[in-house]
Amino acid sequence: MLPRSWPSQFFKSLLGTVLTGLCLSVYSQDTPLATGAGTVYPGIIETFEKIIQIDSAKLQNARTLLTKNGKVFSAADTVTALDLDPVFLNSLILHSDPGYLKLASMDKCRFYEALLTDLLKSSEGKVKNVIVTYLASGKRETAVMSKKDFLDKVVSRECPQTQKMISLFQIKTLGAVLKDTNFELPTGAQQCSNIHLEWLNNPKTPFLCQIYEYGKDARSRVGDPKEQAQKSAVAKILESKQTPVQRDYLETLCTHLDDERSFCEEFLNVSFWSKVSSGVKEKVYVEDICRQLTGGTVPSAATLETCLARIRKENDLCLFPRGTNSALSPQPECDRLSLALNHSSLRSNYQDCPGDSDQLAATNLTRIIANFTMADLKPTKGPCSAISAGEFFNFNKTYDNEENWTLEACYTDKISQREICTKTFFGEYGILPESYTLVVAEILKKTRGADPTTTCEMVDSTEYNPLLLRYKSGCFIIYQKDQCYLSECKHKILYNDRTVDLIKIKNRMSIHYFPLNVRDERFSQHYMLTHDFKKKGTLLNNLTSINRYFKKNKTGLIHGIGCAEDLLPTFFKSQGINHCQPLPFIIDGVIYSEGKTAFVTRTAVDSLQAPRILMWTHIFSGVKTYQRLHPLKIWTMYGLD
Amino acid sequence: MAWISLFLLMVSVRAADLPMFLTKHSNDTLRFITMDGRYAYVQKKPGVLGLVSSFRSVDFLTDSGQSDFLVKGSRFEERLLIESIPNVHTEYNLLKNHKIHVVDWGNTVTKEVGTGKASRLHLEDEWVTYFNPLERSIFIQNLETQKKYAIKLGAKSNPFFVPEVEMINQNTVVYTDTNEAGFSAIISYNLLEGKSSVLYKSPGSGTKIELCQHKTYLAMGEFPHDGVSRGSKIMHVTLSKGSSNLAGFEALYSSNLGDLGNLICRETGIYFIKNLTNAKTAVSKKMEVSWIDLRTRKVEVRSAMDSVSQLVEMNGRVLVPLRGDFYVVEGKFNIGTDILKSLPVDSKEELPLDL
Repeated sequence: MLPRSWPSQFFKSLLGTVLTGLCLSVYSQDTPLATGAGTVYPGIIETFEKIIQIDSAKLQNARTLLTKNGKVFSAADTVTALDLDPVFLNSLILHSDPGYLKLASMDKCRFYEALLTDLLKSSEGKVKNVIVTYLASGKRETAVMSKKDFLDKVVSRECPQTQKMISLFQIKTLGAVLKDTNFELPTGAQQCSNIHLEWLNNPKTPFLCQIYEYGKDARSRVGDPKEQAQKSAVAKILESKQTPVQRDYLETLCTHLDDERSFCEEFLNVSFWSKVSSGVKEKVYVEDICRQLTGGTVPSAATLETCLARIRKENDLCLFPRGTNSALSPQPECDRLSLALNHSSLRSNYQDCPGDSDQLAATNLTRIIANFTMADLKPTKGPCSAISAGEFFNFNKTYDNEENWTLEACYTDKISQREICTKTFFGEYGILPESYTLVVAEILKKTRGADPTTTCEMVDSTEYNPLLLRYKSGCFIIYQKDQCYLSECKHKILYNDRTVDLIKIKNRMSIHYFPLNVRDERFSQHYMLTHDFKKKGTLLNNLTSINRYFKKNKTGLIHGIGCAEDLLPTFFKSQGINHCQPLPFIIDGVIYSEGKTAFVTRTAVDSLQAPRILMWTHIFSGVKTYQRLHPLKIWTMYGLD
Repeated sequence: MAWISLFLLMVSVRAADLPMFLTKHSNDTLRFITMDGRYAYVQKKPGVLGLVSSFRSVDFLTDSGQSDFLVKGSRFEERLLIESIPNVHTEYNLLKNHKIHVVDWGNTVTKEVGTGKASRLHLEDEWVTYFNPLERSIFIQNLETQKKYAIKLGAKSNPFFVPEVEMINQNTVVYTDTNEAGFSAIISYNLLEGKSSVLYKSPGSGTKIELCQHKTYLAMGEFPHDGVSRGSKIMHVTLSKGSSNLAGFEALYSSNLGDLGNLICRETGIYFIKNLTNAKTAVSKKMEVSWIDLRTRKVEVRSAMDSVSQLVEMNGRVLVPLRGDFYVVEGKFNIGTDILKSLPVDSKEELPLDL
């Protein structure tokens, strides 16, 4: 059988090696490709077949001769210049999968590991014995060596890490090893290339591919039926240790080790919706889209599957999602959205309702913070945008900047006749004491003698029913969902069924995203991200610097502010000269198309699950125009890593 | 595909690099300038709008917040609208309401008319309309009688939607809206009767409708939003004095590519931003200023800038804002030179400002 990739460049170079090996072989009885005077050349295929036949015969002859002569390798200490026999090596090259040959060619240890894990095959199939050559007493000898001896006497000495890997990849420890292994999903071409190279150099790769091959072998049911039963049982155990995502990943990796392009295409060109369907990506990306099929209710697993099938065919289905997550719409069509999501790396496994945000800086910065911390977001109650308000407040509190938080809940203390104000945000985020629910409860305790255990609950006005008994006692903040934002929220407070009007909201959320003056620079959010949060900020003002940044930072994030009229001209129309609505944005991916560079961008008004593909010209124009209008005329686009 | 080819044959190219707009003022601070450059409204500092004329400068309007200003006129040159946008650099909010002031052309006494955005003057500048995104209502106000009307928009599919509004006569307002499924429509509203009727409904979702008006006609353009593959079209209807009959929109132009729009109506034609990319689904799009002649319906490309994204009109001058600069499509581009000129013969041209 011919190697499956014989036309490839890699195979051509291997062929050169093989031909050289065969021609120069000391064991050659005749010139392998020598042809007699009247020989017809029917084609290259026949020549390969000849090479393989010759190789097979040679290996068999060599092994028979060595066994007959009792040439079994025993003492490694007394020999020098130990090497694999060229005939044996040629056989491996001719009969192994080119992907595994590529892996074996990375370095000596990867070669040994590929041999030990049965990834490399000779003309006899799986390698049981190794043929080595060495110098003993100044004379070159050839001998057969068992694979176990080869591991103990050669591999352990030359590659100590291999022994460690073997002990790690045992049935008992496999689960933990797979858990610790980073099956990183690429989101960009450059990042994918780096990931592919990392896998080739990773000592775990031969062992991981051994698992994949074992499963494949067991499924093919080729060979002795008695062995098959045992094989299937082991394969079942191995399979149980892997998640479906890991299984798919290993298949892609092990079948494309020699072909980086195909490896990357599998990840970047496969529809994003297939990834959701297979569980590689979360359901949150399609839930709101699929609510269109259920009339707005949460779709069941079966509905999601039907919906995913429709998404692949109906491009318009993604335009107007339903549900509570309000954002700029229409979203991009399904094809375009899939392309953008395939190249995106921003954490997007939650919803933050940018359509309900009247402080888009908080929305954008929370997205950045959540992405870098990767910590679990705390449970929220009340308006959907509370997640942005709470996480953003927490960030500022952590770095001692809550002093500049301007939104407050105030009441007049009757004893001291003073107005007392507490910093707050609308909603409830974990147990942050500045949550409006907790602030109101505290005020009620101080002013109305409420029980120390009193808590308040935010209730959507559409769900509130005054006739229900549950609303007759306790504290409820009834808010109007369509008029509840980060800085203002239309609501009324009910305590034991009576309206409380002693609490007044003062000020709005005021944020210095980038420095607005030199004196207050250290209070700007960008300063905190780069100095306190310890993210390195790189100024990016041309395509070259951005491309360089993405090459260096596989999952890099760029944040900035530009004019909405330039960034999204189909949505925001300029009303006059120098009309600019500053709009924060995040870029988390790059797409090269038709010789132009486009960026996967989420402006702060876009849904986290629906990035857009924006051209560099629009982004540059947006930031440049904003720079002209900025009080310090500073450039407002930075890479963070 | 034959009709597309025919259409392409009708598009003639007169593309050129547009000249940069040159004035005596810094581009960053300029908010409005008259056609001859004699009167300019400039943002002097946050919260202060200045008027500069004849080497004199006055603080025209001051605001307590760190406001930015937006100044708009109309072809009637009777009044100016000034939107005061609070806390531009600290409150990143696209749903923010602006304070809307009105000032008589040539006067310095401003009057606050309401809060909202996307304000426009209509009908000899006697009427003003603006949109309040928090209340999702269009307000229509007569500046002479102070009579005020409000139209509440329907269900929101896009929280950031801003309607386009035109007034046909004292009783008829035409505006755009979208339904929950994302279909756009043009609605005619009778102020006296308080009744509305749909003039046009988009055949597909994901598009935006723009309106513009000149003396004798009302034009509408339908263009797809970003990320939506749809065609574009421009139609118009002739207006007869006193009549509110808007039936019979006539097609002027159509393309199977997604144009950007930004209609600006002129007496003999309409400016818009046209997509000159060959592929329908291309990520990168070449957008240029184009002109469609109302009589011949011939389309001319008027710029060669590759990525025009906005088109604005200011006192008869048509400009392309790009990367903080402005390029002139129509009107004199260099008004930055000092040449001693005699007073205009037509006194109307000179603003009798009371400085």
